[in-house]
Amino acid sequence: MTIVRIGLAAVGALAVGGAVAALVGSGTVLSLLTQAVIYAVFASGVGLLLRQNGMVSFGHALYFGLSGYALGIVLQLGWMPAELALVAVLAAIGAVAFVVGLVIVRVPGVAFSMMTLAIGQMLFLTASRSRGLTGGADGMNINWPSTLFGVPQSLLLKPAVLFLVCWCVMVLVVAGLALLLRGRFGAVTEAVRDNEERARFIGLRTLAPRAAIYALSAVIAALGGSLSALNTGFVSPEALHWSVSGVALMMVVVGGYRALWGPPLGAIVYFLFKDVLGDWASHWMAIFGIALITVIVFSPTGLAGALERLLPSRRKRAAAAGRPASAH
Amino acid sequence: MSDYVLQAEDVAIHYGGVKALDGVALTLERGQIRGLIGPNGAGKSTVIDAITGRRRLTRGRVRLGGEDVTALGPVERRRRGLSRSFQRTSIFGQMRVRRQVELAAHSMNPEGSEADAEAVLRELDLLARADDVAEDLGYGEQRRLDLALALVGRPTVLLLDEPMAGLSVKESLDLAQHLKALTSRWNVSVLLVEHDMDVVFGISDVVTVFELGRVIASGEPAAVRADPRVREAYLGSAA
Repeated sequence: MTIVRIGLAAVGALAVGGAVAALVGSGTVLSLLTQAVIYAVFASGVGLLLRQNGMVSFGHALYFGLSGYALGIVLQLGWMPAELALVAVLAAIGAVAFVVGLVIVRVPGVAFSMMTLAIGQMLFLTASRSRGLTGGADGMNINWPSTLFGVPQSLLLKPAVLFLVCWCVMVLVVAGLALLLRGRFGAVTEAVRDNEERARFIGLRTLAPRAAIYALSAVIAALGGSLSALNTGFVSPEALHWSVSGVALMMVVVGGYRALWGPPLGAIVYFLFKDVLGDWASHWMAIFGIALITVIVFSPTGLAGALERLLPSRRKRAAAAGRPASAH
Repeated sequence: MSDYVLQAEDVAIHYGGVKALDGVALTLERGQIRGLIGPNGAGKSTVIDAITGRRRLTRGRVRLGGEDVTALGPVERRRRGLSRSFQRTSIFGQMRVRRQVELAAHSMNPEGSEADAEAVLRELDLLARADDVAEDLGYGEQRRLDLALALVGRPTVLLLDEPMAGLSVKESLDLAQHLKALTSRWNVSVLLVEHDMDVVFGISDVVTVFELGRVIASGEPAAVRADPRVREAYLGSAA
């Protein structure tokens, strides 16, 4: 995809978000959509790891919940302004995740997934039992200041505004990833994912790029966690639980991980299912499970893959018109 | 100063009591093609693995252009001009052809990597498929792509592990002649492991014969073909 096309797609997506914020009057619906978009950001992180490293994480809730706790503790201690705290927390999580990644991305396949599960559950149990620091199982409130980035909290927390903020973050994350991955870094990580040994024999170092993708996916999950902390003003050990990682993974599978917009699509579909089905079926997860199986069987590339097959690609259109499509 | 671009000295790889390689010595001069032949399990592919750093040596040394690279890993050896292909096609299946060849070229030399990739794609007749995903290529095209990944960055030494495997007789001979012309033009030295005797004896300057991890004969193709030990061990008495 060219830079112009990424830019146009991002502007279009921002316009859609603006229209939704302006046209949807119901605070409940906007609140639901906000939650969906927060999970869309989180799922983008989990999907990035699967897309670029070919790795399945059952522990990314670790970073989703950790950002909330880190913000809560830093703001409680009053060490720095909230804006700086937000940046510092994301940077620190990225640095820690890179070091963790240098160790665990060497572990292949299922063993990697189990390792992420173990690390995530360790932090879940730690947070649940550290009553003095985290509030234990009761969780902790986050003392956001009255203004954030110059915007009063009374305005920021209005459903339409908060939805729009989360939507913009989501669009920027997806567009940023599209720009980053179309370049050499994307090519290196794709090569390492496809054939690590061959990558070494064309002169590529393979460990650092894999760890970098792990760290980037952790930062994106943490960004989702920060938005969740802003949305609810609260964080509890449930945010760290492996089942939250599992939900994000379901979103990735439903939406499809090959397209960067697949995981966000999966998150939005998941929340629509949850809301619509939840109204008349107490076991809506069972129905979602059937939908998940259907997608896996009939479209392993997810809903995004199915949509891409339905929509004729630029390459096919160019071929039909008898001219070559330019390389991306 | 050595005239050899590659020297393997007393190379041994032992797995417990099994001697996959034992005291192998090989050299390559600039622009030379050395064919390696021998029965299955003789140690031909293991030699390539040893020279490229894929397997750790039990004993011996590998020198590239006079520099001892024994302690270096595959990445460092590749960046010093030592390149290889694999017995099984080894490409990046989900990447587009041009993207992966450019990546390989860039990792060797960022300056002019696009032109280098373009030249290699043209040489190997892959330009028409440059924008296709690699896994969509036919088998012969994938073999050529494997070769392209090894050839970009203008390596000084190229180690090819059965590059004709799975190709038809005509495809093999075409690729062999093409390879000979290309390596001569680009002044690349080649170590060629191949089971197709017509190819090996047709394009090699020298031929080395392996048996049970040891070199049993080495020399010009005609002399090797006439060597009674080689006929007995590998080519068969009727050869």
